[in-house]
Amino acid sequence: MLKKTWFLAILVCILGTGIFFNIPIEKRKYGLSQTNLTTDYTGLLPEKIDRVVTADNSAALQQIVKQANVEGQHISIAGLQHSQGGHTYYKNGIVLDMKTFNEVLEVNVQEKTVRVESGATWEDVQEAIQEYGLALKVTQSQSIFTVGGSLSINAHGRDIRFGPMAGTVKAMTLLTPNGDIQTLTHEQNKEQLANVLGGYGLFGVILDVTLELTENDLYAIQTEALKTTEYETYFNHVLDDPTIAMHYARVSVAPGSFLQEMYAINYLETGKQDTETPLKGEQGMRLSKLALDLGRQGGPLEDLFWTTQKRYIHSLDGETITRNNVMRSESTFMEFKKPGKVEVLQEFFVPVDAYADYMKDLGKLLSAKDKNEDFKVHNITVRYVEKDDVTTLNYAREDMLGLVILIQHGLNKKDIENAQNIIQQWTDLTLAHAGTYYLPYYRYQTTEQFQKSYPNWKTFKQDKLAEDPNEVFVNLFYDNYLSEEAAYEQ
Amino acid sequence: MNNKSTKYLPLLVTVGQVVIFPYYILWLKQVSLTFTMFAWLFALHSFAAAFGYRLFQKRKPGTISFIYIGMGAVYVLVSLLDHSFELLLYVVLILQVFLGAMQGYFRAWHVQQKSYHLDAVHHYVIVGVTMLGLSFMKIISPVVFLGLFGGVVCLCGIWEYVMKCTLRRKRRSLK
Repeated sequence: MLKKTWFLAILVCILGTGIFFNIPIEKRKYGLSQTNLTTDYTGLLPEKIDRVVTADNSAALQQIVKQANVEGQHISIAGLQHSQGGHTYYKNGIVLDMKTFNEVLEVNVQEKTVRVESGATWEDVQEAIQEYGLALKVTQSQSIFTVGGSLSINAHGRDIRFGPMAGTVKAMTLLTPNGDIQTLTHEQNKEQLANVLGGYGLFGVILDVTLELTENDLYAIQTEALKTTEYETYFNHVLDDPTIAMHYARVSVAPGSFLQEMYAINYLETGKQDTETPLKGEQGMRLSKLALDLGRQGGPLEDLFWTTQKRYIHSLDGETITRNNVMRSESTFMEFKKPGKVEVLQEFFVPVDAYADYMKDLGKLLSAKDKNEDFKVHNITVRYVEKDDVTTLNYAREDMLGLVILIQHGLNKKDIENAQNIIQQWTDLTLAHAGTYYLPYYRYQTTEQFQKSYPNWKTFKQDKLAEDPNEVFVNLFYDNYLSEEAAYEQ
Repeated sequence: MNNKSTKYLPLLVTVGQVVIFPYYILWLKQVSLTFTMFAWLFALHSFAAAFGYRLFQKRKPGTISFIYIGMGAVYVLVSLLDHSFELLLYVVLILQVFLGAMQGYFRAWHVQQKSYHLDAVHHYVIVGVTMLGLSFMKIISPVVFLGLFGGVVCLCGIWEYVMKCTLRRKRRSLK
């Protein structure tokens, strides 16, 4: 057999294919450490912390908070640390690692609610509610984040009917900055909840939360390629169409069609519910990573990546998918580990009717041909967020379109300054179009830009000091934008 | 002239491959993220070499110059590859197949040459002396040697090709 050339060729092909599919997608090393410097997902802002406390039970957490008040210690709260602006730790502070506080406490099928501890991931919740034919009303498009973390940043996702996540919270158990345990509801504790939701862990520890659920509907996928100039009108039709439950779009960042082309994906009600289809796992992540890595090279390869993406999305047209599965997209393929480089997210929100003009102006600010530049935009997706009247630090003061942007830049001082400069210009442009930016990401923006984007910051700060006079709950984000020095630095 | 190149170039390439292989293995180990991956890539190289060997036995074409140029190009490419390149392992996977196949092909060709048995004796002696010599040299990175060797093998390929063309022209003019 070994004399046969074809047999040897097949052997090479089989082993080569086997290796291809086993090339590891290395996870970046980040996280809580007492011996080394602590970082978050980006690895930026390394800081020495005092200690990590693993959350076992609420009584133990209560004791730590009370003791911190007496001894003048600072506490930060960490989940999976995907927030990128130092929200989960503080210099020489205690970090509460909430990942083990992850029980799904109750699924109430009649009332369509789930009560879950804050360290649970959305995947944990989906696994618990799937069997009852239930699904979340609002969550991110990936299910890898913790419930507490997502609530603390008031996340949003692909759903266009239920507003931001804060609105789906029915009740919450909070460990307050003075060490009390309180149950909060929108009816009785509106102001307190307005600060905790989207409060970046500065108003206490979310212990558990009761979330509203909906049915695990079956949707038909509808895709459309369009010009960026057509999107505003297109999106208004989407909003007016009650059969569309979820929607997102992607903007081209390939040099050949930079900010000119888009494709939209709608999830249409089929009137059916699905109790059979299991929760999907990561699918095709190796090929997706390979394609993304090619796109990351820029130039013609980025054009090729965009064309491939469009073809792939078009191939999904007409397929069906459950609501739960829409809310658990693949994430591993996005892993990025290149020495001397970092990939960060930024998100800018603009009013729906400002979108077309905004994109036109954005085209003047960004370079379409960034292949040989340090600052590279790799992806822009567009999400809709309904006006938010629930939270104090609200990013959607009217109905907004959010541009979620994946950016790569270098790690040396000059590269970071260059990135900061571009992002600050981008933020000014967004503000000029009555927009805002999102706070869970790295702190490129100035204090002035923060205060313009979040005019309620003073109320937030006053309430914070009223509820937490000893400033027990702090983090690097607070230090940078909300501390006494930061607030008056301008 | 051609006889000399047919006599000495295979010896040079054979000796060079053996001398350079430890450096290549070092490089392969550096770019493989795990030992398992390293071992698999090595196995792939061996299978590809078997395939290349068998392919020559089947076809037996006259010239070997493109194999020299191909092997040289792989070593040069290895020396130029950026270690932070995201797709590095995918590229290595392809290189392993090409390099293995070409090495097997070259070996199959070499054993059929008249000078092979003499080359085999010389090669052991030269490799021993070279390795002793290299052990006294401090290198920063294995890719320095890989690149240099790649360049030399490429030149051998070009030399072989030019000689073959010259010989062919001479034969034609004699006819």
